[in-house]
Amino acid sequence: MAKKSRKGAAKAVNGSAPKAVLTDRDKKTLKDLVGLADRIVDDAQKKRDPYLDIPTRALSNVRYNKAKRRIEMGSNKNRRQLFNLSQAKSYMQTVLVASGCKQLIEEGKTTSIRGLYYLLKHTIDGTREETFDDQAECDPVIEDVEVGLNSLREELHVYASNRGNLVGPLTLIDSGDEIDCSRMGSAGYSIPSIVERQVIDFKKCTAKFILHVEKDTVWRRFSEDKFWVKHNCILTHGGGQPPRGVRRMLNRLHNELNLPVYCLLDNDPWGYYIYSVLKQGSINLAYESERMAIPDAKFIGLRSRDFERCGLSPSVKINLNDQDIKRAKQIASYPWFEHKKPWQKEIEQMLANGFKLEVEALISKNISYVTEEYTPQRLADGEWLD
Amino acid sequence: MAKARTKTAPAKSSGKKVDRLKSGRLKSADSEADEAEDEATREPEESADEEPTTAVAATNGHARKRRATAQSMAASQRDISVSEFFAKNRHLLGFDNPRKALLTTIKEAVDNSLDACEEAGILPEIWVHVQQTGPNRYKVGVQDNGPGIVKKQIPLIFGKLLYGSKFHRLRMSRGQQGIGISAAGMYGVLTTGKPVKIISKVSPRKPAHYYEIKIDTKRNLPEILNGKGEGEDIDPGEKGRQYIAKHGIEWVELDHGTRVTIELEGRFIRGRGSVDEYLEQTAIANPHVKLHYLDPEAGEGQLDVRLYDRSTDKLPPEPKEIKPHPYGIELGMLATMLQDAKAMTLSQFLTSSFSRVSSAVASRICDKAGLSTRANTGKIGRDEADKLFHAIMETKISAPATDCISPIGEDLLLKGLHHVVPGEFYIASTRPPSVYRGNPFQIEVALAYGGMSSANKVPLDVLSELLEESDARTLRQFLSSTFYGLGSDAADQIIKEAEIGPRTSPGKLKTAEVAKLHEAMRSVNLESGQTMNVLRYANRVPLQFQHAACAITQMVMNTNWRAYGLNQSRNQLPTGPVTIMVHMASVWVPFTSESKEAIASYPEIQKELRLGLQSVGRKLGMYLRRRLKVKQEGERRNIFLRYLGEVATAVSDINNADRKKLYDQLLLVAKKKTSQADAKLDERGRIIDEEAEDLGDNVLIVDPTENFGIRNLEAKNGQKES
Ligand SMILES: Nc1ncnc2c1ncn2[C@@H]1O[C@H](COP(=O)(O)OP(=O)(O)OP(=O)(O)O)[C@@H](O)[C@H]1O
Ligand SMILES: [Mg+2]
Repeated sequence: MAKKSRKGAAKAVNGSAPKAVLTDRDKKTLKDLVGLADRIVDDAQKKRDPYLDIPTRALSNVRYNKAKRRIEMGSNKNRRQLFNLSQAKSYMQTVLVASGCKQLIEEGKTTSIRGLYYLLKHTIDGTREETFDDQAECDPVIEDVEVGLNSLREELHVYASNRGNLVGPLTLIDSGDEIDCSRMGSAGYSIPSIVERQVIDFKKCTAKFILHVEKDTVWRRFSEDKFWVKHNCILTHGGGQPPRGVRRMLNRLHNELNLPVYCLLDNDPWGYYIYSVLKQGSINLAYESERMAIPDAKFIGLRSRDFERCGLSPSVKINLNDQDIKRAKQIASYPWFEHKKPWQKEIEQMLANGFKLEVEALISKNISYVTEEYTPQRLADGEWLD
Repeated sequence: MAKARTKTAPAKSSGKKVDRLKSGRLKSADSEADEAEDEATREPEESADEEPTTAVAATNGHARKRRATAQSMAASQRDISVSEFFAKNRHLLGFDNPRKALLTTIKEAVDNSLDACEEAGILPEIWVHVQQTGPNRYKVGVQDNGPGIVKKQIPLIFGKLLYGSKFHRLRMSRGQQGIGISAAGMYGVLTTGKPVKIISKVSPRKPAHYYEIKIDTKRNLPEILNGKGEGEDIDPGEKGRQYIAKHGIEWVELDHGTRVTIELEGRFIRGRGSVDEYLEQTAIANPHVKLHYLDPEAGEGQLDVRLYDRSTDKLPPEPKEIKPHPYGIELGMLATMLQDAKAMTLSQFLTSSFSRVSSAVASRICDKAGLSTRANTGKIGRDEADKLFHAIMETKISAPATDCISPIGEDLLLKGLHHVVPGEFYIASTRPPSVYRGNPFQIEVALAYGGMSSANKVPLDVLSELLEESDARTLRQFLSSTFYGLGSDAADQIIKEAEIGPRTSPGKLKTAEVAKLHEAMRSVNLESGQTMNVLRYANRVPLQFQHAACAITQMVMNTNWRAYGLNQSRNQLPTGPVTIMVHMASVWVPFTSESKEAIASYPEIQKELRLGLQSVGRKLGMYLRRRLKVKQEGERRNIFLRYLGEVATAVSDINNADRKKLYDQLLLVAKKKTSQADAKLDERGRIIDEEAEDLGDNVLIVDPTENFGIRNLEAKNGQKES
């Protein structure tokens, strides 16, 4: 399945921008981009104000598909008009991003979202205004173009920054290089942002499951303690909210290699949310949940009851703030949690506790408590939330 | 009849001064004294604060312990001449301090000149010359091209208090009491000892009369110093010219006219309440006047430092003299009139004494009163007079003729205001005439919006001058007292911007600090902190003092300007770059005090003021709303335009469309979308027909950038004009 053209195109990056050889996918994306531009020209000719319809990326426009157990995007669209005061700028930015992607595709180059931001950032003629003030302003526009054209990010030749690592008995081919993920030193294999088949192929895997932890510090603990060797698993983290590359990787490992996914996240609303995104997909990128969501992922901890059960010292408690409480209640009302009693209890108890716990809290008990007792016990007892 | 009129006039509220004067002057002179007292008792609120300076009042004092007997007191009871009275009470006439004295002197002379010119049907041209002659001394010369004054009247007019032509009549004029110019002369003589000099000429072939006069304050009579007590006649030809040169007489050669020169103790300070301001405001309300002004800084041989040229060649229509209207009469006054009337029938009395009373109206009044139209006035007693009075009030009588008033008119109000006050929107409204206490009057309101505060455009050298001259103790005080429309908030803003201590004395600023202050004044946006500039006028004369006591200011503050798009705290002057000018024209303006500085609050006057203010306010509101809309549309357009280029480029990058063509097409759509803004853009600055139509007549809209600094230009380069 891997596309050779990928590599060929990459080589052209430093050249004087000759037209790259286009894949079929590229051709389709280009056609969509040109279509978008043509509609604007057409509107202008007919003296109509041009607009773009962009699927709404908000909770209001996502549906929980019970059968498929994942979030799906609804059909609501937001109309973005050039001649509307509050939308004029983002309209301009959207078209700008589209032209940036077109350039990347044509030249066969790929860039990070940060790279695209710099590519498009400049001062608007005759003003002191920048096309984009910061990257935070650019990122959602890129997502708009993705959903607007119904293309994947990589089809636009854009990728998110890398964040997230993997270690375990897995051998894969990454852009032609064979990589043994059990021999990647202390930092492990860095999960790229595009892990589609044209980039990554799995070659060999002996692991029985995946343990996904929230962040780097916890991941290092597990890695150092050789948890993955003892338990024959793949160990991953996503640096907090896992980027798309990590989610897609987990999704592929789960679906293609039949590996169950267990998550060890903080006992706080943020941890719940990460789990929700991994399992059902994110509200923002609901259109991608088909490729991302892992409805079978399990939540093994931390649990609201762990403070007492594990006999933690009171100094590890972190008080919930108003924001936390609000978020917790919001999460409890998500359609995919709403009817799950154990989850309702879990969240209720956290609210009753009035404090949250990070996975690191377990370390205060004993440096390897989490890897040698806590996690093995949960896995052995099959004690998790679903 | 003449007597009757004498009585009606002073009773018109400003009578206080006159009553008092009359009782002083006339007591021993003739029988009218009784009537004067009679009047005073009829108006208790006025007699209440009668000062015990008159002999009459002195006798009212009864002490617990007998220190003096009636006999011993009689020894010190004697006449007080009007002149003596005013020498002691100069503040009553506006000579309270040296600064005001200078202004009042000029004002009295200029008002007289304008009155005389208009009465004679001559387009007025006035020369005002102020020269400093000593540390606190100024010589004021005011000349006009009026009809001149006949020889024998000159000494009396300038050397006798309460001598004039305007008091005994109901006719609109600036002066009304016959005190003005002689009081100024008296003040000058009292403070400097220098005589008042008058030169007047009635025709080109006749000699000019030249007088040097002092006032005998004891006898209230002129004392002629030159020509062996007879004055001098100056030959109309070359001989006369030589005489004038030889004696250093100041005179701009004219066929006819009058020049009065008074030297007095005074102070020349610019800014609020200054001579400059008076002349400028006079120019606004009198667009038919040409005014040459030489201030104390004028160089040798200069003709004028500032010229306010006329913006119209049309004289205001001549106001007619009228009889009092029945509604304005009071019972006591009616009784007196009846008594004074020669034997005639009641019908004759009513029709001949009052305006708007035909014999039909007279018989209706008599019917109501149950009196015969043929009843003899001599037989009408107090009871009948009372009935007659009530009958008058109950009978429908048409409003007095209004051709006795000559309003400035909406057209000229706009012209005058635009000529002097920079702005972008002007509106004027002349109310129909109305009546208070039987006196016809008319209210006019004009408003200028926008433009810049004088503080924004004062040149650096003028600013340093102003600072040096100022008697303000702090910089803050200096700023808010010198510049119109500059509130203390704005002053603070400027001072902060200039980084100078707010309590610094204005005279002590270093050159660098002055420059900084100047810079700050130019750059600070004063619109927000600026309060409405209220110009008040009575019979075309600017009122510069006692703002708070004046019905005009009060009504302006009572008006809800927020409804018209301005900011305003409750019962305060609104803020914003607004100048409002309010004129009351009347045969008799009811001043609150002798110095003619504030208009009294009669309900009828308040009502007309309110309606006038509301009518300009409504138009202002319309304009501001429209302006806001245009501005918003313009801003919208700008936002769109800003992004169009980017969009066109990006699109043509994607599909190779013709960028220029696409851009132009998008531009068209943008214009269509923001067509509101176009109305303004197309016609930049010109009067916009469509808008003027909506706003009605008497509106002037100008591009604010176009007439920037109009006042400065004209004032400074006046010489250039013909
Ligand atoms: N420049 C002048 N030319 C012709 N007549 C004049 C001139 N100045 C004054 N007079 C005459 O002298 C009279 C007296 O003037 P004066 O200023 O003393 O009183 P007034 O103007 O009648 O009333 P007020 O006291 O209100 O000013 C005037 O009524 C007018 O008839
Ligand atoms: Mg006068």
